[in-house]
Amino acid sequence: MRLFAVGLSHRTAPIELRERVDFGRAGIEAALDGLARRNVGREIAVLSTCNRAEVYVAAETEGAVEEIFSFFADHHGAAPSEITPHLYVHHGADVARHLFRVAAGLDSLVVGEPQILGQVKAAYTIASDAHFTGTVLNRLFHLAFAAGKRVRSETGLGEGAVSVSYAAIALARKIFGDLSSLRVLIIGAGEMAKLTGIHLRAQNVRGIGIASRTRLGAERLAAQLAAEVIDWTEMNAAIADADILVTATGAPSAILTRDDLARAMKSRRDRALFVIDIAVPRDVEPEAGEVDQVFLYNIDDLQGIVKENLARRSAELERADAIVAAETAKFATWLQSREIIPTVVALRDRFEAIRRAELQRLQPKLNALPPEAQAQVDHITRLIVEKLLLTPTEQLKAVSDHSLAATYSDALNRLFSLPSPDQTVEEDPTPGKRTQS
Amino acid sequence: MRLIPLLLYAAAAAAYAAHFAWRDPRIGRFATALLGSGLVAHTFLIGMQTVQAGHAPLVGTTAAVSAFIWLLGLAYLYVELTSDERAMGVFVAVLLVALGIIPALDPELSRRPPLLQSPLFTIHVMAMLFAYASFALAGVLGVTYVLMFKEIKAKHLGFFYTRLPSLRVLDMMNGRAVIVGWIFLTIGVLVGAIWATQVQNSPDPRAQAMSLSDPKILVAIVSWGLYSFAVYARRAIGWSGRRAAWLSTIGFVLVLLNFVPVGYFLTRSHNF
Repeated sequence: MRLFAVGLSHRTAPIELRERVDFGRAGIEAALDGLARRNVGREIAVLSTCNRAEVYVAAETEGAVEEIFSFFADHHGAAPSEITPHLYVHHGADVARHLFRVAAGLDSLVVGEPQILGQVKAAYTIASDAHFTGTVLNRLFHLAFAAGKRVRSETGLGEGAVSVSYAAIALARKIFGDLSSLRVLIIGAGEMAKLTGIHLRAQNVRGIGIASRTRLGAERLAAQLAAEVIDWTEMNAAIADADILVTATGAPSAILTRDDLARAMKSRRDRALFVIDIAVPRDVEPEAGEVDQVFLYNIDDLQGIVKENLARRSAELERADAIVAAETAKFATWLQSREIIPTVVALRDRFEAIRRAELQRLQPKLNALPPEAQAQVDHITRLIVEKLLLTPTEQLKAVSDHSLAATYSDALNRLFSLPSPDQTVEEDPTPGKRTQS
Repeated sequence: MRLIPLLLYAAAAAAYAAHFAWRDPRIGRFATALLGSGLVAHTFLIGMQTVQAGHAPLVGTTAAVSAFIWLLGLAYLYVELTSDERAMGVFVAVLLVALGIIPALDPELSRRPPLLQSPLFTIHVMAMLFAYASFALAGVLGVTYVLMFKEIKAKHLGFFYTRLPSLRVLDMMNGRAVIVGWIFLTIGVLVGAIWATQVQNSPDPRAQAMSLSDPKILVAIVSWGLYSFAVYARRAIGWSGRRAAWLSTIGFVLVLLNFVPVGYFLTRSHNF
C-alpha cells in the first residue's frame, strides 16, 4: 500500500493560483469522483481551504502521482505547466507529518489559527460519507484530529489574539465574560470606528450606540451596523450607560478627561467600563485609566498585546512540533507494520500449503492410525509451523524503516518464491478492514 | 491512617499547581481525582472517629479544623464539577494542606463533655463550619479577582490573565459564596446564642465564659458584621468587583484568625 499526498498551499502558490485551484467545500465530492474515475487509488480524500488544495491517496502503486498532477490541471481547466511547478508531493510517513502539521495549524498562514482543524474534519467526513476512505486514510485522519487536539490543548499555540480587534474582544471577554448582555458606545464615525463596530456586532452584543460630531456620519455608520445614533450632547449619559466605550475620532486632542469618566462612573457603582481608545492622537486622557473599574487600552497597548502573543506563539512551536513528531512516529510504525503484512500473509500461506501438501501425501499411511493420533499429527505439524513463523513474523512487524522493510519483503519473496504482494493483499487478516474501490 | 487524607491533599495541591502552570487537561483531571480520593479517605477517617467516639467528631478545635477541611474540599469539588473551572483548585488545595497539618499532628480526639450533649451544639458547629468553608471559597475568589484586576489594569496580561475565568464570573461566584456563608453564619451564631442561654446555669466554667467579652465570640460577631455589610453593600449600594473582593479577602483572614490562633490560645469559652 502506497500513501501519498499532492497539493499546493500558500507556501508554494500565489493567491491568484490558489483561487483558481480552490475546490470549494461543495466541489469536494465532484473532485473525489473525478479522481476515482482516474483510478488514482483505493482511498481518496480532498482537503480544500482558501489557503490550500490537497489530495490524499492510498493506492497500490506510486504511478498515480502523475495522474493527480494532470487532474489538478484538467479539473480547473488550466495548463499543467501553470500548476505542476507549484505542487508538492509527500510519501508515506511524510504525508502524516504534513497532515498533522496542517491539522495543528502549524502550516497555516496565521500559525495556530483554529479553523483548519474543522476544515480537515470536514474533508474527512465528505470523503468518508462518499465511501472513499478505508483503513489507511481512516487511521491517518483520526490521528490528525488527535494531533490537532493535542497541540491545541497542550500548547499555547492557538492562544492569545493576533490582531488588534481580537485582542480588544479577548480583553472584553476577560472582563465581562459573556458579551451578549453588553452595551457598546462608539464615539467617532470613521473607518476605524466602523471596523471595530463590525467586530463587536459579530460578537452579538446587546446594543451599539454611535455618537459623532457630525450627525450625518453617525447616521450613516449606524445604518451599516444596525446601531442607534446618540446625540453628541448626550454622550456623557450614554457613557454612564455603556459597558464598552470605543473612541475613534479624528479630534486633535483628548475629548474625554479623567473627570469626565470619574463622573460617568459615579452613577454606575462598581460596574466595569472597558475603554478602547483607537484614535491617534488619543481621545481619552491616559489618567482616566486610574479611575476605579475603568480599564483603558489605547492602540499601542493593544498592539503590544498582539506582539507579545505572536512571540508567545512562536515559542510554543517547538512543543507543537514535538507532538506532531510523536504522532507521526505512531502512524509510521503502524504503516510499516501494514506494508509488510502482504508478505507475512504470503509467507504463512506458503508454509500452510506445504504442511497440507505433506499431510496429503502421507494420507495413506496416516489412515492406518487411530483418529486421535491423526488429529495429533495435524495438531503437531500446525504447531511446528506456527513456532517456526512466530519470531520472523514479530521481527517483520517491528521493522520501522521503509527501505529495510522492502529489502526483507523482497528477500522473502525470492527465498520462498511467494506470489507478488498485489495478488495477496485482499487476504489481509487485519480485523475490521474495509476495502473500498 | 490519619495521614492519608493529608498526603492525598498535598498530592492534589501539587497536581493543581502543575495544571495551573502548564494547563494540561490530563493533569487537571488527575488533580481532581487526587482531591476526590483525599476526600473519600477523609470521610472514612471521620466515620471511624464517629464510631470510636460514639458521636460526630466536632468537639475541640482540632476536630473542627478537620471537619472544616472536609467541608471546604467538598464545597470546592462541587463548584469545580458544576462550573468546570479548575483554576481555583491550587489555592483551595494549598489551604487544605496548610490546615490539614493541624489534625495530622494532633490525633487525640477530645472527649465530649456533658455540656455539649445537645443537638443545638451539633447544628451550631456544622453551620459555622459550612459558613467558614463558603467564606474560604469567597476569599480565594477575592484574591484571584484582585490579582487579575491588577494585571488587566496595569495592561500586563500575564500569568493570571491566561489562567483565570473572567472578572465578572469571579465576582459573581464571590457574591454567591458570601451570601451562602452569611446565611450559615447567621444560623450558627443564633443557634450558638440560644444554646449558650440554655447552659447558663451549668457549673462548667466554659459555659460561664459564653459572652461577648470572649475573643472567639467577639471576633465571630465582628465577622458577622463584616459579611452582613458585604451582603448589604453588594445589594444596596452596588459594591461589587474589587471592593467586594477585598471585603471577602479581609473577612476570610478574620475567620481564619478566629478559627486557629484564637481557637487554640485565647478563647475561654470554646476550648473543648
